[in-house]
Amino acid sequence: MQAEAAIIIKELNKSYQESGVRHDIFKGLNLNVNNGEFIVLLGRSGSGKSTFLNLISGIDCPDRGKIIINGTNITALSEHDRTLFRRHHIGFVFQSYNLIPTLTVAENLLLPLELIKRITQKDRDKVCELLEKLNFADRLDSYPDRLSGGEQQRVAIARALIHDPDVILADEPTGNLDLDTGQQVLELLDTLVKKAGKTMIMVTHSQEVIGKADRVFSIKNKCLVIN
Amino acid sequence: MNPILNKSSRNFLWQHPWQLALAIVGIALGVAVVISIDLAMESSLTAFDQAGKAFSGTATHRIIASDGGLDEKLYTQLRVGQGIIKLSPVVSGYVQLAAQSDNRFKLIGIDPFIEKSFKPIWQQEQNKNQTADFLMRLVVEPNTVLISDKTAQSLNLKINDDFTILTDNGKQRLKIIGLLHANNAISEEVLAKLIITDIASAQEVLGSFGRLSSIEVLMDSYEPETLTKILKVLPGSALFISVDSQSQSMREMTRAFSINLNALGLLSLLVGMFLIYNTMTFLVMQRRKLIGSLRAIGVTRRQIFKLIIGEAFLLGIIGTLIGIALGIALGQGLLYMVSETINAIYFRIDTASLMITSAQIGKGVCLGIGATLAAVLPPAWEATRFSPVTALIRSRLESNTRRVVGVAKLLSFILIAGGITLAFFSGKSISCGLAAIFLILFGFALFTPAFTLWFMQLTDKLFGRFLSIVGRLPPRMVASEISRTGIALAALMIAVSATIGMELMIGSFRQTVTEWVQASLPADFYVSLPEEKMIAGKATEEHQLKKKLAELPGVQMLSSVLHTKIIANDEFTKVSVFELNPESRKGFIFKHKVSDSLWDRFEQQHTVMITEPYAYYHAINVGQKILLQTDKGKQPFEVIAVYADYSGDQGRLSMSRQNYQQYWPDLGYSGIGVYAGENTDLGQLENQLYKLLSGQQSVKSDKAIYKASMEVFEQTFSITETLRWLSAAVAFVGVLSALMALQFERTRQLGVLRAIGLTPRQLTCLVISETGLMGLIAGLFAIPAGYIVAYILIFVVYERSFGWTMAFHFDPAVIYQGLALAIIAAVLAGVFPALKMAQIKPAEALRLE
Repeated sequence: MQAEAAIIIKELNKSYQESGVRHDIFKGLNLNVNNGEFIVLLGRSGSGKSTFLNLISGIDCPDRGKIIINGTNITALSEHDRTLFRRHHIGFVFQSYNLIPTLTVAENLLLPLELIKRITQKDRDKVCELLEKLNFADRLDSYPDRLSGGEQQRVAIARALIHDPDVILADEPTGNLDLDTGQQVLELLDTLVKKAGKTMIMVTHSQEVIGKADRVFSIKNKCLVIN
Repeated sequence: MNPILNKSSRNFLWQHPWQLALAIVGIALGVAVVISIDLAMESSLTAFDQAGKAFSGTATHRIIASDGGLDEKLYTQLRVGQGIIKLSPVVSGYVQLAAQSDNRFKLIGIDPFIEKSFKPIWQQEQNKNQTADFLMRLVVEPNTVLISDKTAQSLNLKINDDFTILTDNGKQRLKIIGLLHANNAISEEVLAKLIITDIASAQEVLGSFGRLSSIEVLMDSYEPETLTKILKVLPGSALFISVDSQSQSMREMTRAFSINLNALGLLSLLVGMFLIYNTMTFLVMQRRKLIGSLRAIGVTRRQIFKLIIGEAFLLGIIGTLIGIALGIALGQGLLYMVSETINAIYFRIDTASLMITSAQIGKGVCLGIGATLAAVLPPAWEATRFSPVTALIRSRLESNTRRVVGVAKLLSFILIAGGITLAFFSGKSISCGLAAIFLILFGFALFTPAFTLWFMQLTDKLFGRFLSIVGRLPPRMVASEISRTGIALAALMIAVSATIGMELMIGSFRQTVTEWVQASLPADFYVSLPEEKMIAGKATEEHQLKKKLAELPGVQMLSSVLHTKIIANDEFTKVSVFELNPESRKGFIFKHKVSDSLWDRFEQQHTVMITEPYAYYHAINVGQKILLQTDKGKQPFEVIAVYADYSGDQGRLSMSRQNYQQYWPDLGYSGIGVYAGENTDLGQLENQLYKLLSGQQSVKSDKAIYKASMEVFEQTFSITETLRWLSAAVAFVGVLSALMALQFERTRQLGVLRAIGLTPRQLTCLVISETGLMGLIAGLFAIPAGYIVAYILIFVVYERSFGWTMAFHFDPAVIYQGLALAIIAAVLAGVFPALKMAQIKPAEALRLE
């Protein structure tokens, strides 16, 4: 029996207005993503890849259609409830890392946990443990501006995973990194995410990642097309 | 200038409407405060000058006497005896409309047929056609008057109508026989407060039979013969002065007040300049990539500089124009406050409305545009430094700023030390005292970013472990963006420290005045008598009244005072002539130790006591002698004491009635103090006192006088309070603008927090906590700055301005209020950007680079 899909997208429509003219990004987009599945999304610049991730994470709303994550229809939730849902169930990795510059590495990692519950010593230990895995144990109290791009992205991946979300969304995580560093980051994602059995959707152009993905989609003519 | 380059600038500005609007508001408010003060002050003084010119016309000199006025025989003596024809006698006094007791006019009695070369207002072109007829009627028909057509219109009166006035001499009925037209707006305002009649009618209405207020003299630049003739017959109690010098001395008298007001206006402009600097820096920093790109395609540094300056110039013009319009509206409101303060502490003026001159508008334009350009020079210069290859990234900008913070800290110590040195080693200069305050405030402003960084580090160290991760964000955000938060904090700190400083000063002054007024009122009741001293038979009536008061049952003893003027060291000087009893002697607060024989010497010998301002301005001290002019020649009087007096800043002399009567005419009393015996029913005594009084005489209890005095005190500070709040308003706009800019710049960061899971409410709380924290820092730092400002205001500026010394009264409530003001202002200023940021969609925020 096939396991229940982690993400169900039904008849998703999204458009934007510019100078009074409506431009469609998605029209009747459908997708089912299974639990633990690793999806790669390809597409030309401006095709709507980032918008797609924003819609799944609930930081943007579709014009029409449904997005159901682990049984919760997030399109039916209020802004506040979507935020709470995201807090618990989504981990986001951005192309430009987006660490909070005024928080240390450890604090950046503790922040998603703190939004969910009161931080305990166990949580702090968990952060240390994760950073040790990343070879960052000695950089706990460093601020992001002291880290290289690759280091920042590794912290960002740890931040996306620290609160044990169901779904990881990664928007071109290696886009700002050189080849070698990008490679290391992808390995890390592979180790931490895939092995933890998390569902992941990643926007990338890396051929190597494409090779590791369960399914690869492209956005063409406002719909998802399997490669 | 390249039109496409201009378009890129214009489009960018349009994309930041809030920043633009706030910058314009900042310039406008700063200009408005400066312009309004200038207009209100100038209008008050111009009204005074012009009122004099309305009846003196082209007169060059004036013969004036103390309160008793001049004997009218002097006029005959000069005209007939000495053959001087260019003379114009004047009788003047204040009257009130019976129907509207708060509507006061100056009644001027003139000789309608004086030498035409005087060109008084009733002989001017616009009134010439009517003059022949109504000037004759003024002389022939008693109690006939001329008023301005504007006044007639406002009072709904026309020619041949009667109206009733109240004078110190009782009720009088006047008949309008002609209306005067003014040939310009200023004359119109002046005429609106005058009632013109002939000499005889004025003497009758005012009760000053046989007396003149002054004789106007028209003399060519050098006429030694005329001068000799005048001086030959001039009585000892009169002075011959030039009209210009009198006008000049009036302006000189109000100079300190004027400087203090202007300093407050400049404070608003200074805070406004912070706002402009902040806005323009923001607009430049936002474009660092754009400017880098422009430089890369060949735009020169000069072109970039001109572009930024051009933008500032445009903002300056718009802000200044709005500021001038606002300033005129605000000036109308301030005019009343300024006039009332001048009335309370200097001399009587009547100002109906604002008089606006092109010079004042020009001054406003120069200040507004000049301040804008001065504030924009640093960011404009910085814009030219952007590398065409790598535009500055934010973190580099912040690390650059931290280096600047170090330099600013050093500079701030120099400025504060320089300010303190200037304050205490600049002689009697008021401007130097105020400049010292500006230096100190500016020094503290420069130190604010360093203090903020230190305070944030300390907060993080001390409380960091107790705070949640989100709780640690506000202090770190304040510190990490010091280039932006530092300016907002400095602007707010200046406004709050000025508020604390002035509140402490006013509080100290209030405490000192309260103690002085309480000590000065030892009697149970005070009978006040009409001010007009030229009324015939007044002295006799008042002696009789005093006798009757003494005979009333329950009255234990009396004291009396006559406030008049005499000529001391060749200038008119206020003098208080006292009849004191043992109780009233206790009302004097001396500024030094006095001997037991003081009162004997005061009563028996040629001695005077002087007030503190008199001693300060004339550099006279105990033991020195003052030459007082009498009909028996100049007489030396020894100064035996200096005492506190806060009723005015020009100072006065005090002498015993016994001394006064030896040399000067009996002018009655200004007030009589009534001391009730033990177990006297005060209510009953007050009723008995009322029964003895008539006309303009009145009686007040010591408590009522105390209350009225404190009301006058509060009223004289109402303009200061108003201006202080205006400065705070400019600072508030500055903080709002800075916070808007700050939040705008961190939109993406806030978007990330939203993406991670912060709710809009949490985001709002985060932003407001940050701004509240900024308010706390500004408030805390404003406390020492405000304390120093208060100290300099009390011991330097006010002593130099008014000659008053007072004790520093520290009120902790002022500190709490200042702190609360800073926090509330910052939190309020943070509400709008916080709500705006909470509303922004995270997806949009994340798209922003």
